[in-house]
Amino acid sequence: MAATTQVDVPGKPTETGTAVLDTATAAIQNFHPINKIHQHLCAFHFYGDDMTRQVEAHHFCSHQSEDLRQCLIYDGDGPDARLIGVEYLVSEELFLALPEAEKPLWHSHEYEVRSGVLFMPRVPGPIERRALEQVCRTYGKTFHFWQVDRGDRLPLGPPQLMMALTRDGQLREDLAKDVESRYGVSFEKEREKREYMEGPAKGIHPLANGAGKGLRLVLTEVDLPPVSSVPRAFV
Amino acid sequence: MADGCDMPPGKPMSAEKTVIDKGAEMLQSLKPLKHFKQQFCSFALFSHDPIRQIETHHFCSRLNHDFHQCAVYNSDSTSAQLIGVEYVISESLFKTLSPEERKLWHSHAHEVKTGLLACPRVPESLYRKEIAEFAKTYGKFWCTWQVDRGDRLPMGPPALMASPQGVNLGWVRPDLVKKRDDRYGISAAELREKRADIEEPDTIEGSNADYWVKCGKGFSVDVVETAMNLRAPFP
Repeated sequence: MAATTQVDVPGKPTETGTAVLDTATAAIQNFHPINKIHQHLCAFHFYGDDMTRQVEAHHFCSHQSEDLRQCLIYDGDGPDARLIGVEYLVSEELFLALPEAEKPLWHSHEYEVRSGVLFMPRVPGPIERRALEQVCRTYGKTFHFWQVDRGDRLPLGPPQLMMALTRDGQLREDLAKDVESRYGVSFEKEREKREYMEGPAKGIHPLANGAGKGLRLVLTEVDLPPVSSVPRAFV
Repeated sequence: MADGCDMPPGKPMSAEKTVIDKGAEMLQSLKPLKHFKQQFCSFALFSHDPIRQIETHHFCSRLNHDFHQCAVYNSDSTSAQLIGVEYVISESLFKTLSPEERKLWHSHAHEVKTGLLACPRVPESLYRKEIAEFAKTYGKFWCTWQVDRGDRLPMGPPALMASPQGVNLGWVRPDLVKKRDDRYGISAAELREKRADIEEPDTIEGSNADYWVKCGKGFSVDVVETAMNLRAPFP
């Protein structure tokens, strides 16, 4: 269960008939993009303008290539976990090729991995470390759409740009202890074993991690052409 | 294959990395993913620029009778790109939203009744009841990767999406629909005839859904620099 505020999603329980139908249709359809998701990573995100608000983030990832991963972010790892956001992970090479204006939206992973805070639940250390050696050198871009940490029962408001931990002292001790106890891990012990890992070859880019600034997403209403202005197209 | 990048940026997965990932994968349970039971294909418009239209593939899991959370991709193949997240709620949940929040949500009746929304490979009769219920739901869809404009990686902030509507600016281009229909051997026109008797949702007082249709305004999302609320130095 997640450490974030536990509230039920409002709504009536699923009817039995519906559940049966869902299973039947699921058997007919293919779920290739979902079936390709093969990796579960647990870490923490904080809001791009508020480090004090931190969220336990469960990443379910698939590789598009060796240099690009796409992940669904959940607030837990159980069957009722809420889909709260997405994250994309790219290699250093792909990150460096991004336009300068884009780089601040991305965060580095070196600290999270080397500190032991980012881990793969249920995977034994040696295998986990092999897999995370690569993550250590990547950059990520994360948006959340559901502010479960403030108790929202539904996904409300604008999207949120999220950031990742970059140094000691940022992570809330209560959140850390909660995850360690639930998963039977020790960040401190794992940190020692990950000392050999290396971050990006060229060092963490100065424009990553918001370029050190707070970043916020703002919604603005914009004028559109009149709805009747396009010649009628037939569906 | 839907519009967008054909080859993901980056190197193909090496054999070594695949083996490491496979080893880890076998040990993880990936529970939230087992609840993806519904899949459908439809179309969406960018709320800040409805002339831009995309084909979407939703993979949804139901948290309860009134709430679905969907991972949205640009195709249903194994190379599909994760382009966003949509939340789907019932009429009764929609009514609990504030007037401001409702502006960010769209209705589904038009795309259901016009056959734009389809469940390829599943006989219509099997999901007739669900599709009729879906026609009365509301969605909130954030697009995080604008593949239609050729982005090889997700760039910029998320975009708020709108649904096809029965106004000129809201009609989906026939060539997009034909491409989809031909790929699956289906016909939106035939689906429209079959769905003619599906009920429209009730008109909700002060709805504000499909805000752009009524008020001619879409929403753009912008990144703004601000002072980060800190609990430790950053970055």
